[in-house]
Amino acid sequence: MYSSERKSFIRFLIIYLGSTFVLFFVALVIFYHYQKNQIITHQMQTLEIKSQYIKSHLRILHETYDSVLIYPVVEGLDSGIYTLEKQYIVGTFDKPVSFETFMRHDSKHLLHVSKIEPYYLGGAYLVIRKPIDYSPLETLQYNSTLFMLIAGAFFIALGIYLGRLFIAPMREYIKTMKDFIQDTTHELNTPISVILANIEMLETFGKCNTHKEFERIQIASKTLSILYDDLTYLNLNHHYYRTIQSVDLSELLRSRCLYFDAMIQDKMIDVTLLITPDSRVDMDARDAMRLMDNLISNAIKYNKPKGALMIELTHEHLIVEDGGIGIEQTKIDQIFNRFTRLSSSQGGFGIGLSIVRQIIVHYGFVLSIDSKLHKGTKVMVRWSKQ
Amino acid sequence: MVKTVALGVALTLWLWGQEPSVMVEKNCLSCHKAHAIPSELIYRRYLLRYSTHEAMKQAIVSYLSNPNPKNSIMPSPFFVKFPMKQSSTLDKPTLLRSTEEFLDYFDIKKRFSSGSY
Repeated sequence: MYSSERKSFIRFLIIYLGSTFVLFFVALVIFYHYQKNQIITHQMQTLEIKSQYIKSHLRILHETYDSVLIYPVVEGLDSGIYTLEKQYIVGTFDKPVSFETFMRHDSKHLLHVSKIEPYYLGGAYLVIRKPIDYSPLETLQYNSTLFMLIAGAFFIALGIYLGRLFIAPMREYIKTMKDFIQDTTHELNTPISVILANIEMLETFGKCNTHKEFERIQIASKTLSILYDDLTYLNLNHHYYRTIQSVDLSELLRSRCLYFDAMIQDKMIDVTLLITPDSRVDMDARDAMRLMDNLISNAIKYNKPKGALMIELTHEHLIVEDGGIGIEQTKIDQIFNRFTRLSSSQGGFGIGLSIVRQIIVHYGFVLSIDSKLHKGTKVMVRWSKQ
Repeated sequence: MVKTVALGVALTLWLWGQEPSVMVEKNCLSCHKAHAIPSELIYRRYLLRYSTHEAMKQAIVSYLSNPNPKNSIMPSPFFVKFPMKQSSTLDKPTLLRSTEEFLDYFDIKKRFSSGSY
C-alpha cells in the first residue's frame, strides 16, 4: 500500500467510523433513555395500582373503624398517610417520617404521592416510596453494550471493505502513473541512447558505414518525435483548435509510409500498399496524421521480424493489417484504455489506441478490430460519416 | 404475624384501659352518654371531612357556639334521632380545651397498629 493510499484509507476509516459511532451512540443514548423512561413509567404505574389498593383498605378501615386499626402493609414498598397539613398520621415506618423527608429527592427510589378523597382516617395524602428495580435497566444496559460491540465490529469490517473498495481506483491510478513515469523514462532513454551511441560511433570511426548510423539516428529521432506528438496530443487534446478541411488521405498515407520507412526496413517488414487515389475525408490534418501514425507504428511495433504489413485506403475505409503477435479476444476491449500495453516487451506508453479511439469518436468513424493471437491484427476504420 | 397480633391485643387493652379526662367526661361525654349520642361516629365523620385536628376543632367549636343543623356536618336524620344540642354555656377557653381533649381522646393515631393484609 502506497503511503498516500494508506493516508487516504486511514482518513476514510476515521471519518466513516467516527461519524457512524457518533450517530449510533446518539441513537443508542436516545433509545436507552426512552427505554429507561418506559421502565420507570411502568414501575410508577405499578405504584399507582398499589396506591389504589392501599386506599381501598383505608376506606374499609375507616368504615369498620375497629378498636385496633391495622395499617395495610404492601411488601417491597414503604407508604404513609398525611393530614391536609402534611402531618404524619401512620405508615409502615418504625417512627413518624415528615412529609419533607419522604419527598426528599432520592435517585434510588420512586416516589408516588396521591390525594385521598374523602379523608379516610384523616389522611389527605398517601405517599409511597419504592426502591427502583434496576434489573430491567441492567438488562437494557447489557443489551445496549452488546449491540454497540456487535454493530461496532460490523461497521469496522464494513468500513475496511468500503475503504478498500473506494481507494481501489486511486491505487490503480497511482500504479498507472508510476508505470507511466517508468515507461517514459525507459522510452525516452532508448532512442536517446541510440542517437548518442551512433553519434559517438561517427565521431570515433569517422567515415565508417555512415549510412547505417544515420539510419539508426533517424529511426530513434522519429521514435522520439512520435512519442512527443502522442504526449502532446494527449495533453492538449481538450484545448487545441481543429481545422476541419478536406484532407487528401492518399497523399498523407504515402508520406507517412515514407516516414516509417526506416523502421520498416529495420524490421525487414514486407509492406503492401493499396491506396485509392484522391481518397478524401473532412477532418483535421493533424488528427488524420495521428490516426495513421498510431495504426502504422503499432503494426510495425507488434509485427514479427520479416513479417507482413498490408495498408489499404479507399474512399470508404482504411485497413491496417499486420502479421504480428495478435491480441487475445478477451483483451481487445482493454486495448483502447489509456496506458494499456498488451506486451511489455514492446516500447510505447499504451496511449496510441487511446488517441485513435478519441479521434474515431470525435469524427463519428467506425472502428473494428479483428485479431488472432500469434497470427496478426486487422484494424479497419470506416469513414461512415462520409 | 404473631408479633403483630400480640401488639394489636396489647394496644386494644391499653386503649380500653384509657379513661377520658375529667373535663371531657364532664363537658362532653356525660351528655353524649345520657342521650346515647355516638361520639366516635361524630369524630369519624369530622375526620373524614376535615383531616386535621385543628380544622376539626374549629368546626366543632363553631357548631357548639351556635348549634343548628346548618352548622353541623352530621346528616339531617341524625338530628331526628338525637336531640339538638343547646348552645354551650362554657366560656371560650374551656370550650376550646374541652374540644381539644375530646379530639385527643378519640385521636385516630392511638388506634393504629402496624400489620399486613
